[in-house]
Amino acid sequence: MNRTLAISVYGITVLFFTLFFAYPIWHTVREAFVTPEGSLTLSYIKELFRNPIYVEGLINSFYMGLFTTLLCLVIALPLALMANYWDFRGKELLNSLILVPLILPPFVGALGVRQFLGQSGVFNTFLIELGLMDAEAPYDWLGEGQLFGVVLMNALHLYPIAYLNISAALANVDPAMEEAAENLGCPGIRRLFRVTLPMIMPGVFAGATIIFIWSFTELGVPLIFDFSRVTSVQIFDGIKDLSGNPFPYALVVVMLAATVLFYLLGKWLFGGTVGASTGRATTGRSLKTASPLANLLCIGSFVLVTGLAVLPHLGVILLSVSEQWYGTLLPQNWTDQHYFDAIGHPLTLNSIGNSLKYASLATAVNVILGIAIAYVVVRTKLPGRQFLDAISMLPLAVPGLVLAFGYLSMTREGQPFDFLILGENPILILVIAYAVRRLPYVVRSAAAGFQQTSVTLEEAGQNLGCPPLKTLVKVTLPLIAANLIAGGLLAFSFAMLEVSDSLILAEQSQYFPITKAIYALVTSLGNGPHLASALGVWAMTFLGITIVGAGVILGKKLGALFRV
Amino acid sequence: MVSIQIRGLVKRFGNLVALNRLDLDIASGELFFLLGPSGCGKTTLLRSIAGFHLPEEGTILFDGDDVSQVPPHKRETAMMFQSYALWPHLNVYKNVAFGLEERRVKKTEIKEQVEAALSMVKMDGLGNRKVNQLSGGQQQRVALARALVVRPRCLMLDEPLSNLDAKLRIEMRTEIRRICKEFGLTAIYVTHDQKEALSIADRLAVLDGGNIAQVGTPEEVYRQPRTALVAGFIGETNLVDGKVVCHSEGNIHVQTPVGELAGRPSDSAWLPEPGEAVAVSIRPECLSIDSRPTTRNAIAGKLTESTYLGEVAHYSMKVEGHAETIHLSELNPRRIIRGAGETLCATAKPEDVVLLPPR
Repeated sequence: MNRTLAISVYGITVLFFTLFFAYPIWHTVREAFVTPEGSLTLSYIKELFRNPIYVEGLINSFYMGLFTTLLCLVIALPLALMANYWDFRGKELLNSLILVPLILPPFVGALGVRQFLGQSGVFNTFLIELGLMDAEAPYDWLGEGQLFGVVLMNALHLYPIAYLNISAALANVDPAMEEAAENLGCPGIRRLFRVTLPMIMPGVFAGATIIFIWSFTELGVPLIFDFSRVTSVQIFDGIKDLSGNPFPYALVVVMLAATVLFYLLGKWLFGGTVGASTGRATTGRSLKTASPLANLLCIGSFVLVTGLAVLPHLGVILLSVSEQWYGTLLPQNWTDQHYFDAIGHPLTLNSIGNSLKYASLATAVNVILGIAIAYVVVRTKLPGRQFLDAISMLPLAVPGLVLAFGYLSMTREGQPFDFLILGENPILILVIAYAVRRLPYVVRSAAAGFQQTSVTLEEAGQNLGCPPLKTLVKVTLPLIAANLIAGGLLAFSFAMLEVSDSLILAEQSQYFPITKAIYALVTSLGNGPHLASALGVWAMTFLGITIVGAGVILGKKLGALFRV
Repeated sequence: MVSIQIRGLVKRFGNLVALNRLDLDIASGELFFLLGPSGCGKTTLLRSIAGFHLPEEGTILFDGDDVSQVPPHKRETAMMFQSYALWPHLNVYKNVAFGLEERRVKKTEIKEQVEAALSMVKMDGLGNRKVNQLSGGQQQRVALARALVVRPRCLMLDEPLSNLDAKLRIEMRTEIRRICKEFGLTAIYVTHDQKEALSIADRLAVLDGGNIAQVGTPEEVYRQPRTALVAGFIGETNLVDGKVVCHSEGNIHVQTPVGELAGRPSDSAWLPEPGEAVAVSIRPECLSIDSRPTTRNAIAGKLTESTYLGEVAHYSMKVEGHAETIHLSELNPRRIIRGAGETLCATAKPEDVVLLPPR
């Protein structure tokens, strides 16, 4: 790639991020500090902290983020350690199944959790039948413990991110580092705490950061659980009267500030400056063959966690094929009617079409931009290319809700970007929103591809008279096709599942993507939840296929996609 | 310091036999080298002595106590790893102090001992450095200090110098010997660099296929190799196959493709009979260029390549009827013979012609 082209890629990327990343954030921040008369003010922020409902929302959001992160680590760390040290039966299979929950849309799963933990849900029914609970006064698990339900659902969705990060970090630890500790008299558990854990801390922290940001600002799950005392839902509710009400803006700003603050705090506490390990590993790690007891422990743990994580979605499947399911262990009557109704419903077919359209356009943008950015970062010596790499990773660190809100406010009538809404069609801004948030995955996988492919292959092509760009297309891209497909598939499926942008930016029902259609169905009366489940099952089937594809193609490298 | 006896040690990895009924004695205070081609089992043996591998059969005795099943952290050996294995989350001081902390040594004593250890490896005052701020040589010194500071019963060195440049390697190997002798340490040193072994070892063992091929002092192993493998592995040599013709004047005459050679067996207890197949080893520096073609032990061939290195000149020649190239080197060469294809004649003294069991 010649210098001019590299500079243009650089320029376009910076422009893209200025317009669709920095500007929406700035737009939101400004609204929170400027009065309708145009003077600067801190009163909105102050007012917000005086309002006990908003303060409670922030505290709950913090708990939601913190407990989800902790629970994810508690689930993932033992599993990753087992897989790192032991060889047990069915490890390959269990190792990939453990990742499946990541692609099950959590707010669809929440439907299933309600079915299990609701007052007349399966769990209570079970307890009543055992005689452990009074049928007249069933315990309201979700009423009393909405936060618990939300945290559990989030954690069962997000723990694979922690698992992938911890596994990758453990794999990078030179076994000699651990042997040196043992050799100097520090075995077993003590070694784990003195040597292994401190060394993998950066990896753990990287995973924990993404989980925290994700769950701190999670919108879909608390919405379905009807848990309105969290900031994300308060912002969502505030959108209805956006014009004139500065509080949603103020809330977004506080949320963004808190995210940055927690990130820096975490980095200071745990990130440390642990350097890369010195020298290369000289001894391969020899896995211990698990004893029968350890075999049982490993297999049991993996099956238990995967099972628990999949359970809500099994509930969704059951719900989608049940005529009635209330106060019984299993649905009373079975039916396939909901699937036909779902297809006949004006919302559903439309929304599947919309989602496919939005997600594939966004993926196309991602792949083109991702290849260009990765190429400039890996293959050129352009000054400031690390900056390009850094900004392309930024969307991972900014809550989707904050961006969604910014897009909404910058495309309102009279704002500079209102031309992005075509009539009432939000397709352009949704594609941009989807693309910005998923760009990091594609850049990372493309960059990994470029790094693994020797530059001499390209030089050989050019040396034989093929111009640089053509060489890229004829030689390099086919070689890194696997990385690109995997990154693209991941971007595609996360776009299909997207909640914040979809719920906030699609306002007319004919433009609803799947997620918003599910949300609309859930909140509608009658067989809405059943239809929503049926639609959810359609969506999950789609995603299952794409992610298994990505996993097969990318193998272990999947973990590298989830690092900041 | 500890003496080590190894009896009938067997270690398998799946179907691969890494150590095959191996016996070895290492005396207290000895700087002992393990050498051999890759895959010969030297690292496996070292790691077994340190306790990272538990043997399937056989025993390892430390001063007569069986430690075969003792876990690594209770063996009180200290290993210096090839990759150094310095923990990046701890600074230099903390890395060195680690083993003492595990031994519950008092804080004040730890400070004293760590400082003494750092000064011994000439790293005084660098305790606060991060490990990744150190050069390769400095990391190597820290790793040595970390192993020495716990006063191990046996110091283990696993190719400790392989990541250093040539000059530093020579400096450090002398340093390691100095420190080992100063403490009277029993030390076991794995390397594939025979110069390292020859220059500082008290004794060395050459391993082959999971077994000891030969144990001895550097001079013994170099001058009287017991097998063709040892002869080829320690130093360079020319190996020629042949058949014994007769015994005369204390020498054994062997008919080989390069002519009749008179030599002596490496093991005086072994006297091959006429007709018996043997291998003959002649070091390149034992062959000297000689223009008189009729002398005993003469090898004549056509020069194929010559290399001038200042203090020494290397020649390669091809002998008719013998597939392998014959190498010879001349110390303090006054002039170099350059003409490829020129006829060259070289002779060796019978005491430098070593007879070995056939390959």
